[in-house]
Amino acid sequence: MAVFEPEAEGIVLDAEETGGDIAGRSPWALAGRRLVRNKLALAALALFVLIVAVSFAAPVYSKHVANTDPFESNISGTVTIDGKTEPVLQQGGGKLGLGETPIGPTWHSHYLLGADNQGRDVAARVLYGGRASLEIGLGSALLASLVAVVFGLVAGFFGGVTDTGISRLMDLIWAFPVYLLAISLATVLLTAPNGLNLGIFNVSASSLWIPLVIIGVIYVPYVFRPIRGQVLSLRQREFVEAAIAQGASNFRLIFREILPNVASTVIVLLPLMIATTILTESALSYLSIGVQAPKASWGTIIEDGQALLYTRPTVAIAPGVMIVLTVLALNVLGDGLRDALDPRSKVRVK
Amino acid sequence: MRSRSLFQLLTLIGLAALVLTACGGGSKKKSSASSGKSGGTLMTVAKGAPSGSPDPQINYTLQEWQLLIITHDGLLGFKRASGTEGTKLVPDLATAIPKPQNGGKTFVFHIRKGIKFSDGKELKPSDVTYTFERLFKIGQSPNAGTWYNVIVGGDACVKTPATCDLSKGVIADDAAGTVTFHLTKGDPEFFDKLAVPFGFILPTGTPNKEVQLPPPGTGPYKFVQYNPNKQIKLVRNTNFKEWSKDAQPNGNPDVIIQKFGLSAEAEVTQVENGQADWVFDTPPSDRLNEISTKYGDQVHVNPLTAVWYWAFNVRVPPFNNLQARQAVNFATDRNALVKIYGGPKLAVPTCQILPPNFPGYKPYCPYTKNPGSGKWTAPDMAKAKQLIAASGTKGASVKVNTDTVETDKALGLYFVGLLNKLGYKASLQALSPDIQYPYCQNSKNKIQFCWSSWYQDYPAASDFLNILLGCGSFIPNSNASPNIAEFCDKGIQAQMDAALQQGITDPSGANTKWQAIDKAVTDQAPWVSMFNPKYIDFLSKRVKGYQFSPQWYFLLAQASVK
Amino acid sequence: MATFAIRRALWLLVVLFAISVLVFLIFFATPGVDPARQMAGRNPSAETIKNIKHEFGLDRALPIRYGLMMKHMFISRDLISYGSHTRVIPEILSATPVTLSLVFGAAVIWVIFSILTGVGAAVFRGTVIDPILMILALIGISIPVFWLGEVVNLVTQSRLHDFFLFSWVPPLGYTPLTQDPLMWFEQLVFPWLTLSVLYIGFYARVLRANLIETENEDYIRTARAKGLSERRVLLRHTLRTSMITFVSLFGLDFGILVGGGALLTEVVFGLPGVGLLTYNSLTALDLPVIMTTVIYGAFFITLANALVDLLYAWLDPRVRPA
Repeated sequence: MAVFEPEAEGIVLDAEETGGDIAGRSPWALAGRRLVRNKLALAALALFVLIVAVSFAAPVYSKHVANTDPFESNISGTVTIDGKTEPVLQQGGGKLGLGETPIGPTWHSHYLLGADNQGRDVAARVLYGGRASLEIGLGSALLASLVAVVFGLVAGFFGGVTDTGISRLMDLIWAFPVYLLAISLATVLLTAPNGLNLGIFNVSASSLWIPLVIIGVIYVPYVFRPIRGQVLSLRQREFVEAAIAQGASNFRLIFREILPNVASTVIVLLPLMIATTILTESALSYLSIGVQAPKASWGTIIEDGQALLYTRPTVAIAPGVMIVLTVLALNVLGDGLRDALDPRSKVRVK
Repeated sequence: MRSRSLFQLLTLIGLAALVLTACGGGSKKKSSASSGKSGGTLMTVAKGAPSGSPDPQINYTLQEWQLLIITHDGLLGFKRASGTEGTKLVPDLATAIPKPQNGGKTFVFHIRKGIKFSDGKELKPSDVTYTFERLFKIGQSPNAGTWYNVIVGGDACVKTPATCDLSKGVIADDAAGTVTFHLTKGDPEFFDKLAVPFGFILPTGTPNKEVQLPPPGTGPYKFVQYNPNKQIKLVRNTNFKEWSKDAQPNGNPDVIIQKFGLSAEAEVTQVENGQADWVFDTPPSDRLNEISTKYGDQVHVNPLTAVWYWAFNVRVPPFNNLQARQAVNFATDRNALVKIYGGPKLAVPTCQILPPNFPGYKPYCPYTKNPGSGKWTAPDMAKAKQLIAASGTKGASVKVNTDTVETDKALGLYFVGLLNKLGYKASLQALSPDIQYPYCQNSKNKIQFCWSSWYQDYPAASDFLNILLGCGSFIPNSNASPNIAEFCDKGIQAQMDAALQQGITDPSGANTKWQAIDKAVTDQAPWVSMFNPKYIDFLSKRVKGYQFSPQWYFLLAQASVK
Repeated sequence: MATFAIRRALWLLVVLFAISVLVFLIFFATPGVDPARQMAGRNPSAETIKNIKHEFGLDRALPIRYGLMMKHMFISRDLISYGSHTRVIPEILSATPVTLSLVFGAAVIWVIFSILTGVGAAVFRGTVIDPILMILALIGISIPVFWLGEVVNLVTQSRLHDFFLFSWVPPLGYTPLTQDPLMWFEQLVFPWLTLSVLYIGFYARVLRANLIETENEDYIRTARAKGLSERRVLLRHTLRTSMITFVSLFGLDFGILVGGGALLTEVVFGLPGVGLLTYNSLTALDLPVIMTTVIYGAFFITLANALVDLLYAWLDPRVRPA
């Protein structure tokens, strides 16, 4: 009986894999196996899922644990800890008594991480902020990827003038000042009397769709480049020529032959894209041109914390830590996916 | 980023005793021109340069006015003193304040002799005519057409600036040393208008277009550098000889510098370290506790004749309904708003239009629990809810419009919550500070509830009541319509016109009328008045001789660093 | 090669034109924008606004306004800012050295450290050092730069300022090199470190991945077979090939940063560079400055793109520039 020689067939083995392991399995199943064996990537995935779960449990936390409405000012409120009642915003000291400082972390269920300038519970807001940041991050990464795949397929497949035209358009978008677009769009939408009316859609000023679309559009060129490159090279491959010889239409070629091969690139890119879009959203919100009040995102909370940096640094630190953990988890996961789908990039043990 | 104070702090301040709450000049201190030794460099810092043109006849910011008063002079000036004294008008380039002639339409000023500009030229009466013609010719002076068109020939100059001819309105006689002003009608505020930098005298020959460096002046200092990205530098005018301690005292420092580019946080740190002597901007809120505890002796807090308020749009639902407006006023917890601004030491709640210690001011507050004392004490939520129910406006959607500055946004968020509690559907609309003010003014934007603030130009009740709530100040579909509330009550307007007329000859009688007007307008609730703010001056350890003038705030040149 | 250069130069002009037109249109399409009103100050009369409109050509048709602005910017070079009423070009020229100081210093740091880290991880792969370095690199690219800057400020300016390690840290700001070299340096140390953290992480990973990929190429195996030492193989062959990607990416990032991409770092550390100028002009809706900074930025980004493509085409003739 012939021994299955994977290397002879041009199939690449991962470390510790033998020919017997992979015989008969589809590439996707193989990838899944490799991913599961990557402990670090699994841990990262678990962390990411945890963060998502906790963020989406924000309403539960704020209602039952913290007992606050994290979107409403609570300037004159008080909080009772261990029998002692304190105002949430406390007047400054010295004989001048200037300024008002919010309370710091109480490490109790009420105001666990303290209050911000408006007397709102920081911990509850960080969780809600996670929802917004994650929704925008995921949404815009998906949007960018979707649009980039479409353009990449068309440009790479048809080549020539189409390719040049689309590539130049992408270059233009890439060179465009992000912040100007964001500020202008934000202003336009904020001043429109009843939000933006696009026929059946009605987008209100504080809608998360606005930063989502802006960031999605900005990153299309980022995903477009590798996709286009891959489509270009795939187009020359034998199986495509074979399909053409069989009389396949362009439509069939693109969707049945090329797209599935591009999919793995997209899958590898996706966590990295989400990481990038989360960072971009937080930067825009920090500059007040992303998520708008009263909605919160991690970036807006860092901006709130900036005015409190010298007295209540927790407000700025907590959301930042959340961003670092989320983006780190996504990056590790992205690495793991890439190793699983293309083990050639992994280290070979000698 | 441009500080809000640059945009809004446009100033001249009011009459009467100031109650000061911290160390530093009080109403009891006498004005002392040179309370310290002279010499040295006064190093000041600001986030950015005064916004707008450097041209003294265009710039409308407190930041630049504080410097222009020591480089230039007007025919009259506000006494360079703290407390009530600082609100009095004294003759500056003129020898005396002239008596009105011809029913208040003619004034003859005698110009002092021997005063030189910093370029050595001697001041002549014809410089006055030149200065006022230039005011129109440059075309960009904000108030040429609203304040100075009261001069004969002014209206024609507004229409065709390039050929402005005031030879009938500002008649200079170099031989006799006099300047005669002819006005189209009596103007109770004319002297105030001469005492602000728009009316400061420039040498004949100053180009009739916007300049990048303020031209030579008659004051004790002169501008030698004006780089909006780096710094402004003033040095002594060697041609200056003090002629009136009250109007233009000699200054102490040899050099005054204002450096730009730092953030407010860094500025505070610099003053703490002694690397800067004074910071123009408001210290950030998270440093206030620090400076009041560790550097208390270097901090001075003074009340301002200014008001922070929210304007309703009285012509657009739901706030075209008086009961709705009154309800919101009753429901507002002004203590919470004060807290947002920085605490009770930095702001005082108010219900009315005029600020305390202002001509025509009498404490009045109907929108509180147990009204009658004139002071606001607590919100009355029950009454508010009653009024809302009676108004039938429940459920209406309201856009709460403010700008993106931290404090202003925080105030907006408070009201979003409050209006929602009252049964409205409120949402926040925070615009860039450069857009928000004109946006609120333009009636075609149909704003409902806008944040705003007003700092006095000069001590006159009409500066608040007529400019912000007079029928003539509402200009439909214009970005320059200061009457944001679109308030126009024929009866009240008639009272205002009568008070203005009376003010020409009988200011104190007029002020009694203004008190009644303030009360009547407040009862109509075109605004939710929030509070009257105070000003913080944070100085370095070595600065002596601090004085706070109600007109010009910190008198830079009167302090000493030696 | 010459045709390539000419084509890309033309493309550069197209990009600048397209972006400037777009910026122009977006600006005037933004509701509430009325530069004449803004410049007119607090309580202007209608005439004042009219005069300003005329003075700045704001009462002309859009295309004419655009043409006037371009003329003032490039030909007569006396474009005036709506905010400060002073010339824009000197404003940008005085902001440029700040950005260049920041970006060059950070670039030196990140190049050195990313090479050390990337090469170190590749050389020591199989041991525990590799994953540790890579996790550090990953953390580096996961930290938002503005947040890191805030935390750095908190520590060096406030919390640990009295600690000997940070007591020398001056208040935030920028001092020109020619004025006070020591202060220039001290004020830039932490901005440099903050800005480079992200890039060290990124480039270390890129370099390591490239090194390992190249390792398996045939010509490297040949070199080993020839008996060359590991170190020689690494430094003479593997590293040199991997540097192609490194240099290309570096060119792109450097171009973006010089063009004002270090905006967040400048905002957090109060450095008056081009990025901060861009941001301030955007929030103040000061169109002349916005236009100038946007064109400045787009110029450097597109130039960097073109240079990198040129480099690739020169090094690898198989790659046709798209």
